[in-house]
Amino acid sequence: MFKMNNSDIVAELGKIVGDRYVSEEPEIQFLYHYDFITAEPEGKCDIAIMPETAEEVQEIVKVANKYKIPIVPWVSGINFGSIATPRKGGIVVDLRRMNRILEVNEDDMYAVIEGGTAWADLKGYLDKYHPNFRAGITFSPPGTGVVPSCLCYGMFDLGMIGGTGAEFLNGLEVVLGTGELVRVGSCSISNKWYGRQPLPDLAGLFIGWEGTTGIATKVAIKLWPKLPYREDIAILAQTVDQGVPLLLKLSKAGLGIVDIIFVNMGWCQAIQGFKEKSVAMNPVELGIPDFVGLVTTQAYTEDQHKAQCKAIEEICKEFKIKPQSAKSFLESFPSEMRGGFVDIFPGFGGYTPFQAWGCWNFSRGGGGEWIGSYCSTSDIAKYYNIAREITLKHNKPPQFYSRIMFGGHYCVARANICFDKNDPEDIERTRIILKEIFDAVHQLDGVIMYKPPLWVVEHHKSKTLSSTTKLITKIKKLLDPNNIMNPGQGIEGD
Amino acid sequence: MINISEKKEMKFIEDKGISQLTNIPDIEKLDRNKSLDYYKDFLYQCGKCGTCRTAFHENGWPRICPSGEFGKFEAYYLGGKNLLAWAVSSNRLKWTENLAKIFYQCSVCLACTQQCQIPEIHNYAGEWLMTMREKAVEKGLGPMSEQKKYSEHVALEYNPYMENHKDRTNWLPSHVKQSQDAKLAYFVGCTTSYREQNIAINTAEILNSLEVDFKILKDEHCCGSPVYMTGQTEKAKEIAEANIDIFKSEGIEKIITSCAGCYRTLKDTYPKKFRLDHGIEILHLPEFIQDKMNNNEIKFRNNIKMKLTYHDPCHIGRHMGIYEPPRDILNNIPGIELIEMPRNRQNAWCCGSGGGVRSSFKDLSSFAANERIEEAKETNSDAIVSCCPFCLNQFKANIKNNEIKALDLSEIINKTIEHQNF
Repeated sequence: MFKMNNSDIVAELGKIVGDRYVSEEPEIQFLYHYDFITAEPEGKCDIAIMPETAEEVQEIVKVANKYKIPIVPWVSGINFGSIATPRKGGIVVDLRRMNRILEVNEDDMYAVIEGGTAWADLKGYLDKYHPNFRAGITFSPPGTGVVPSCLCYGMFDLGMIGGTGAEFLNGLEVVLGTGELVRVGSCSISNKWYGRQPLPDLAGLFIGWEGTTGIATKVAIKLWPKLPYREDIAILAQTVDQGVPLLLKLSKAGLGIVDIIFVNMGWCQAIQGFKEKSVAMNPVELGIPDFVGLVTTQAYTEDQHKAQCKAIEEICKEFKIKPQSAKSFLESFPSEMRGGFVDIFPGFGGYTPFQAWGCWNFSRGGGGEWIGSYCSTSDIAKYYNIAREITLKHNKPPQFYSRIMFGGHYCVARANICFDKNDPEDIERTRIILKEIFDAVHQLDGVIMYKPPLWVVEHHKSKTLSSTTKLITKIKKLLDPNNIMNPGQGIEGD
Repeated sequence: MINISEKKEMKFIEDKGISQLTNIPDIEKLDRNKSLDYYKDFLYQCGKCGTCRTAFHENGWPRICPSGEFGKFEAYYLGGKNLLAWAVSSNRLKWTENLAKIFYQCSVCLACTQQCQIPEIHNYAGEWLMTMREKAVEKGLGPMSEQKKYSEHVALEYNPYMENHKDRTNWLPSHVKQSQDAKLAYFVGCTTSYREQNIAINTAEILNSLEVDFKILKDEHCCGSPVYMTGQTEKAKEIAEANIDIFKSEGIEKIITSCAGCYRTLKDTYPKKFRLDHGIEILHLPEFIQDKMNNNEIKFRNNIKMKLTYHDPCHIGRHMGIYEPPRDILNNIPGIELIEMPRNRQNAWCCGSGGGVRSSFKDLSSFAANERIEEAKETNSDAIVSCCPFCLNQFKANIKNNEIKALDLSEIINKTIEHQNF
């Protein structure tokens, strides 16, 4: 852990951002030590600072280099790998004062935003000034950061169109670990932020690195037009094994489908707001459908929309499944059991994005962590069944979520464990379950966890080609020679 | 502009202006006005997800928390406060002056609780925001020095402004008719008596116009709101007891207030927090006028011809659930065009004067006021109207170059009501 005379450094940092935006007070630090979500251990924040400009970020990084102090970029600190938790102490750079929407280009459909912009900021701005356009809708809470979400392969409800959040990034402005400011993408040689082509795609120096190579101060994110016709369709099946093949067929059929996800009944009940004690532990045994699929299709004209919906229905028929509108599906629940679902679907009169009380609160114990991975679409059901068996063995309700990505090219699979974060025994039990699930699902070839906690990073390292590891090390050394950027996290974490 | 002003059918928590979550099973029913210990097992549900920072509407997501938007660090939002309360109640963090200051740097407007979708936090976070202040006082870390000073003033002169108690009714014009036998009292309050006396005059004249038998208390004291809101519960209870003795000695059965803070304190805090069941009916002026409207006992004659926007005072809005009576009145006055600000009713942005903020955190207070004034100006209204002397005084102090007027509802009513000849 880094040791330093904080007061002198705080004074120096105060000159950069103003005294009120830098703090070493224990009450301020406390909220950066830990993510207040996961079962991962606490870290230690020595100084918290809130810059307002890229130039201030540069100056902060220069101070950190001068004293060789760790520096952790931070927007909301909410992710299931605890990757914004300072593992080696040092300065947490809270970017939330940098939350401006700098430009919206309707022609090329992108928004240039600052590094601390929350999903709520982006949504609010677009609704007010560009109501015909939308960004993706994340199912994480509205206070989470757009940029870290995209850089860490988060996803949103346009996943079928564009893949992960990283694939929605057109370009970046980043302060490197050296304090230098760089731009990558078309914005590096022009004022247009339309894409990363045709130059060398340096965005990869910052995507998937968990803030260990630089601090993104601006990015351009792709927008999408709001189309006039939309249907959210619920597809229920008795088991996940029955439901997945149907979704995969739909994913490869076009049909204006912008999003395909499914949850098992455990997750469904969590979204409904049940406490863990009220949740059906094993719905399959009770004859309750364990597969709840949700498909969203959009269209420009009514005829197109009808045709798309009809085709979806036809494909469902092949699997002897009758789709229904999400609205009617929700109306089948008593109103007090609709929970967070009412926030998901505009068709139901709800609002988007999803304002759940946070995925981690499904059990209302305040804690949650998942083994969330990208994997082959062929392994979704296997992944679920492995995780389900382990979770049931530990007397926890299995919770599972999957999203089919980018026209069916790959998918996300997540097994979630909720816990009571005020109960040390439950936390410990959760850690054991997570580890067991991880070990088991990673026997499936191609399962790679994203936003990985430290102990998973160790696994990644052990599996990576040694020449690739060497390249990663060289790149890291080049971008962050003093190893001050979020040390102890990410693929190059020590 | 974001259009989020549409009136929706909304259920509210009993006696509060916080919307009721109706879509969630397994909601814990808790008691209000309990100690921090009672609530400590609910605090940790919070994951500081940030939902509390933003009003959440179909058509827009404006920021909602003056304390957080000014303080910026997580600690100043509800999420941070939940977890700091958890930290001290579970011995993860020690009480310090700075911790107390964080909890005082908040107007307790409760806009944050309205947003949170964890039902127990949505419904009850206001309780622990107050119990943390009580705890700070217990630990000798609260209230803030300015708040302590005005509390001493209340003890000496029965008002926080250290004005002479004997001057409390100096505002009272000779033409106002009172009935010393009246069972109805107009409780004027300190800010109205000493700082916004036109509200008192207008209210008294309205009551005369309506031929209501009423009286001003011979010896009215501060209601205790500024003392209670800064965590000094015991002191505030003593004030309440003294007031109730006065009410009883004057045979009062009904009280009309024109101050949102007085209303909340008399109607809610006295019986529910202090367990002083005075049995007196408490009405805020808009409620009283609305009742008269409903019974066809009031006529608005004069055409005002103004565009107005209405600011919901937190103490009658989210704290007590009065949103519609002021609007109904304004909509019934000929010539008035009422234009809503995007953040209204349960999502209204606080003016930044309550909870002891204006005395102790002037920068935050001005920040909040200016944000609201800008929002009001965007409606192109001639004036921002409220029904709280504290809000009015705050707006008047912060409006620059007469860009928009600030008015109290009583002034508008008095201008348009059919008058008796004074």
